[in-house]
Amino acid sequence: MITYIGSENIISPLGESATENFERVRINETGISLSKGIGVGKEDLYLSKIKSIPENNKFNVLLAKCLDSIISDSSANLINLKETIVIVSTTKADIQENLDTPIQHSIEKLKKDYNLQNTPLVISNACISGVLAMNTAHNYIQANIYKHAFVIGADVISDFVLFGFQSLYAVSNEPCQPFDKERKGITLGEGAAGVLISSDSSAFKKGPLEFVEGTSSNDANHISGPSRTGEGLYRSIQKTLELANIPSADIDFISAHGTGTLFNDEMESIAFERLNMNNIPLNSLKGYFGHTLGAAGLIETAISMQSIRNNTLVQSLGFQNEGTSGGINILTENLNKEVNTILKTASGFGGCNASAIIREI
Amino acid sequence: MENLKATLKEQIIERLNLEDISVSDINDDTALFGEGLGLDSIDALELIVLMENDYGIELANPEEGKEIFSTINSMADYISKNKK
Amino acid sequence: MNYINSYCHISNSAIKINGTISNSYEAMPIDEVIKAIYLSLDLKYSKFHKMDQLSKIAFLGIELMKQANPEISKYGENDIALLFSNSKSSAATDIKFQESYANGGIPSPSLFVYTLPNILIGEIAIRNKWYGENMFTVSNLFDAKYYAEYANILIKKSAEAVLGGWINVNEDKIEAFFFFVTKKDLKQLNLPLNTETLDKIYKGV
Repeated sequence: MITYIGSENIISPLGESATENFERVRINETGISLSKGIGVGKEDLYLSKIKSIPENNKFNVLLAKCLDSIISDSSANLINLKETIVIVSTTKADIQENLDTPIQHSIEKLKKDYNLQNTPLVISNACISGVLAMNTAHNYIQANIYKHAFVIGADVISDFVLFGFQSLYAVSNEPCQPFDKERKGITLGEGAAGVLISSDSSAFKKGPLEFVEGTSSNDANHISGPSRTGEGLYRSIQKTLELANIPSADIDFISAHGTGTLFNDEMESIAFERLNMNNIPLNSLKGYFGHTLGAAGLIETAISMQSIRNNTLVQSLGFQNEGTSGGINILTENLNKEVNTILKTASGFGGCNASAIIREI
Repeated sequence: MENLKATLKEQIIERLNLEDISVSDINDDTALFGEGLGLDSIDALELIVLMENDYGIELANPEEGKEIFSTINSMADYISKNKK
Repeated sequence: MNYINSYCHISNSAIKINGTISNSYEAMPIDEVIKAIYLSLDLKYSKFHKMDQLSKIAFLGIELMKQANPEISKYGENDIALLFSNSKSSAATDIKFQESYANGGIPSPSLFVYTLPNILIGEIAIRNKWYGENMFTVSNLFDAKYYAEYANILIKKSAEAVLGGWINVNEDKIEAFFFFVTKKDLKQLNLPLNTETLDKIYKGV
């Protein structure tokens, strides 16, 4: 049985649909800009911040916009079926407004507003949440437990998260430069993205792609630093390729995690080299969207799906000079070529790693 | 100076939750990281917070900490020279 | 068909293994429960003391499970999937981290790293060198249907076994439940993994 994926959308500073976001990314525009006096010591910092949506209730607005967009891009009334599940990916939800019950209100609201038959499943697994949410949807569909999954991910910028990353000295004082020699850390972003994952190709208004396979693996090494050997990422990609029965040579493009921190990007380069994936074109999209945490995996997947649809790979923004010990083929400019099969990866705190393969049908 | 060193040992044990370790386990020249006490990168960042909170000393970047936090001796030395 | 091979409850006043009380005491505050279990297991694991309450309880729950069922430790490093949930994510540590920087204070890095609930999965993976699948979900109540369905999925797909856990710390109350699922009924508990069975043993009825 094929798992289909489509109806992708993105809400970010660059726009409120996948196509609008892709058009802006294609001309190498970034959502990152300087915000005045917002750091823990009132310093100016770069953020990828959505200014068109009011701060109040932003997280819930993002979830709703995301869901509305998938609904309008799929066949009627799917959302209300018994065989449909909504899967929500987030790390901190609306923590700025609800420190004690960070997600419950939002989920109850979704269930009520959209008259959902099943309670949404909330995945909160650090920065791999988005990829894990798609993997979970695929697994449910293959097991015939649900027929359709609306997968949505969102996170918003808060003092909590910003100050936290600052306390780890992990925030760059310039727009992030994933994989670059001069990289200094992350740029925080906010946004939302979603996809419909279904066993039925007619559920989509526009032709879907195939979600082939996805897995996760732990580094078993450290809670806040990635494994020096890229152990979990290596194992997850290997497992995904194996289950998908696809040789690594068939992968046309890698949408990497590439946060812009010294250790993360180094670790990824080593994992890809160990897998002999050095020559496959690769990018990090953090230079366009910042690190959007629970939304990141979904935003980057949606752009990669647009890459398949448009046969255009986009430049890894912020990268100039090689700065990792594993040799990798980072896109220094846009590349027009036939793109059939892509690999999406993510890694996060807690030593978690995930990967997924999507291809054209 | 001896008082400062004793205080530092207590503070380190408390802030870094080193429950298995007592003040008498830490010599003034015990390596705090690596083979000695076995502190890690997050501990180093927490020591930077300790320096600022308790001694009013701000470190510009974590790299500076490497030398300063190598032993109780080096920490006490740095604090007594830079305390505000 | 997959089977629940062992399970464990931790509360403020008792530890139960496979539904039977193995240790009971006057109700204690969370930190004292944690300390008592840690000492009883005779562990020498210095990283333990750095963990937040959620991670400590998850860590100890898995240690108790391993003690009660040594089979767990015999699985290969990629074989065990870790499936954890709770109702409040990392709220208890989130509040402490927020307090560290409120009123102009310096945000604490060692608290921040525990402001994600899946960190407890990382602690268990590190301790046991388990490289398998990970997933942390947040739900209002213990969702036996989710655990049963998803554990069955993971075993069918790639895992040999699943360790599931539900851990809440609320005010000063612990509610923790762990279970171990494999393809065979190793311990002859006769507990096939399904929603009804899991719900029954979780509730202890």
